[in-house]
Amino acid sequence: MKPTGKICRLYHPQTNRKFAGKKRKEFEDESNYDEGIPDGTEAEGVPEAAKHNIEVEGERQGEDEYGAKDYRDLQLKPDHMSRPLWVAPNGHIFLESFSPVYKHAHDFLIAISEPVCRPEHIHEYKLTSYSLYAAVSVGLQTHDIIEYLKRLSKTAVPDGIVDFIKISTLSYGKVKLVLKHNRYFVESQYPDVIQKLLKDPVIQECRLRHSTSGEDAAEDAQASSKPVPDDITNFYDKMDKDEDDDDDGSLQTVAFEVNQEKIETIQKRCIQLEFPLLAEYDFRNDTHNQDINIDLKPAAVLRPYQEKSLRKMFGNGRARSGLIVLPCGAGKSLVGVTACCTVRKRALVLCNSGVSVEQWKAQFKMWSTADDSMICRFTSDAKDKPHGCSILITTFNMITHQQKRSYEADQTMKWLQEQEWGIMVLDEVHTIPARMFRRVLTIVQAHCKLGLTATLVREDDKIADLNFLIGPKLYEANWLELQKRGFIARVQCAEVWCPMSPEFYREYLACKSAKKMLLFVMNPNKFRACQFLIRYHERRNDKIIVFSDNVYALKHYALTMNKPFIYGPTSQNERLQILQNFKLNPKVNTIFVSKVADTSFDLPDANVLIQISSHGGSRRQEAQRLGRILRAKKGAIAEEYNAFFYTLVSQDTMEMSFSRKRQRFLVNQGYSYKVITRMAGMDQDQELHYKNKEEQTNLLQLVLTASDMDADEERVPGEIGGRPGPFGRRVGTMASMSGADDAVYMEYKRPSASSNLSKHPLFKKYRMK
Amino acid sequence: MVNVTKGILVECDAAMKQLLLHLDETHALGNKFIVQDLDETHLFIAPEYLEVLQTRIDDLMDRISFPLAERETD
Repeated sequence: MKPTGKICRLYHPQTNRKFAGKKRKEFEDESNYDEGIPDGTEAEGVPEAAKHNIEVEGERQGEDEYGAKDYRDLQLKPDHMSRPLWVAPNGHIFLESFSPVYKHAHDFLIAISEPVCRPEHIHEYKLTSYSLYAAVSVGLQTHDIIEYLKRLSKTAVPDGIVDFIKISTLSYGKVKLVLKHNRYFVESQYPDVIQKLLKDPVIQECRLRHSTSGEDAAEDAQASSKPVPDDITNFYDKMDKDEDDDDDGSLQTVAFEVNQEKIETIQKRCIQLEFPLLAEYDFRNDTHNQDINIDLKPAAVLRPYQEKSLRKMFGNGRARSGLIVLPCGAGKSLVGVTACCTVRKRALVLCNSGVSVEQWKAQFKMWSTADDSMICRFTSDAKDKPHGCSILITTFNMITHQQKRSYEADQTMKWLQEQEWGIMVLDEVHTIPARMFRRVLTIVQAHCKLGLTATLVREDDKIADLNFLIGPKLYEANWLELQKRGFIARVQCAEVWCPMSPEFYREYLACKSAKKMLLFVMNPNKFRACQFLIRYHERRNDKIIVFSDNVYALKHYALTMNKPFIYGPTSQNERLQILQNFKLNPKVNTIFVSKVADTSFDLPDANVLIQISSHGGSRRQEAQRLGRILRAKKGAIAEEYNAFFYTLVSQDTMEMSFSRKRQRFLVNQGYSYKVITRMAGMDQDQELHYKNKEEQTNLLQLVLTASDMDADEERVPGEIGGRPGPFGRRVGTMASMSGADDAVYMEYKRPSASSNLSKHPLFKKYRMK
Repeated sequence: MVNVTKGILVECDAAMKQLLLHLDETHALGNKFIVQDLDETHLFIAPEYLEVLQTRIDDLMDRISFPLAERETD
């Protein structure tokens, strides 16, 4: 196998010649990025094994016209009834969720594979090289994975799968780069691997020889052979235990010390040798960086799944970098706060808006002993004095801002760059583009990185990058299970079909695309449905949020119904005021928001969400919006649904197709949508607007005179990539273009036919799939 | 004088009727095909266009629906 490093080097000069100016800068960024990150998973070194795609390789089976595959040649084991898994030759794994050993199998599958679809009874998972890499990095070993998979499977595990697991895992995770007492060690449980590495001339140069302890250990150590246990439960217990106390006598590790300046060289060399270094941070033995005085309050109790996710991160007493995926409202911030309290070193929290900076600060104060003097906010509105503080909360925009800053901000940035951070927490990590993230990494020196997100999907397929930029996915929760146990709200999802009024449909057919959107959003029947739902739920004393991506519609709806609204240009003060009122004032039960509120607006009381327009077919937006009402409600164990998520769709228009596309993610998480075609009592309700033709015609006139600019969706900084909708160019509103948004960073890149060149060459293969 | 025209009575919802009117006005099927606009939900059309119309509407429905089970192969 050839190391990938070579291919990149061949690639660079060529690209540089082609795109002399702009592109070179991008590559420079990358080389900067390599520095100072003790991370074996950097983008440059994607090991060869990661390029295998089992899905293509295993695709030999016949398919019928509906896409069903014929697996009759797989031999069932005689006791298949008691085993929960089917392993298909294309790497897909099917799990029976009603099986008595479901819990064991589920935890195992989460560790080694990606969930594809998890409805109530049968869950589908997929083995990928990334997921196997993640499995290795949380401490599973090749033969454990294969052995356990064989045990759980109803059929014999296909040879292709066994080979795939071997290829993907054998060389991963064998060697670790550990920072101990401010000295870097290369560590392994496999003496032969260390021996092999030590024979390499490049690595010999990097080695720091002042003690012989490394070599002595290498000779002493013997890879312990573990007895193969008999039954599934046993095996599971062992797997679980391995996680907790890795350091007990049974597994001996050998190590040698490396010269700090040569870290980068050794990392590259190890990747070439097919033994990528896993970075771990031994924070307990780090005396160089001062401990900060922060602890969890006794009142902070972790839920079982939060604890599990953190156990994956701090598995062997050290901190690993990686991603934790939890649904919105399931307490991501508590996980972040706990991680900071565990590491007890300086912590940097990055989030994507000023409001969420405030919310993170509140979370820190609520769950931990940190007080105002320890927490420093660094945003365009609030600049606390950084000196002497131990937790810095800021936004991605602030860090990567490239124009001139105020003197104050400049000082803070300098300070930030000088620090050695113990942990970096990245909130809503899926929203940041890889390039921006690399820039963050060049600025900030952090020992370990924790990415938090609810939705590891993106329309532009950039998720794979995160695996190598931050680290493998450590944990992903099952939404339906959390819902069943009352940790998140039980949501009834509904799609409400509103017939287009004939006049609007006529215009819809006749006009061009930008206006089309305005027409189906402003459909008077939709307006009536929306008003009807609001009135219905207000009578039940529910708290309602109405989402609209289209600002024109947002304003019109809100002003006509006389409700408060928040969108891009709304000032920070006004936003907080509206949110406060929404939370506490019993007279304000409904607010209208644009997509600024998609993520990180904490609205704990809201339990009804109505969506009147959306960003094309974005799955992530749908899930994020659902997240706004997911926080567990009082009496959450009740049988009935306690939260409602309505999407209003104009019938016979493009909106129908968007709506279907958007639902994919949540359907895969096991949610089901109810389609409502007519609402009882809506026709009788005399209080609704636009009940007669005349009013409707006036509305139509209004819509037709609206400019094209009004028809556009609102632009929010940080909302980058995304599949280009069918609406052609999208431009911001006047206000946001002139900077009335609190935007400091904007980047709109549209993938084009030739865009593969501008992306990182190493990931090209994955994108072309 | 009495004119006799053979045709088909079409019943549809109000929005669909607009689609038919639109197709008629823009000569999308090559010619005008609506003989008489009767009321909100009824039209009288020339019989030879029935088949084309049906495929046209099927097309539209296909365009606005999206198969949930589709694999993400892009």
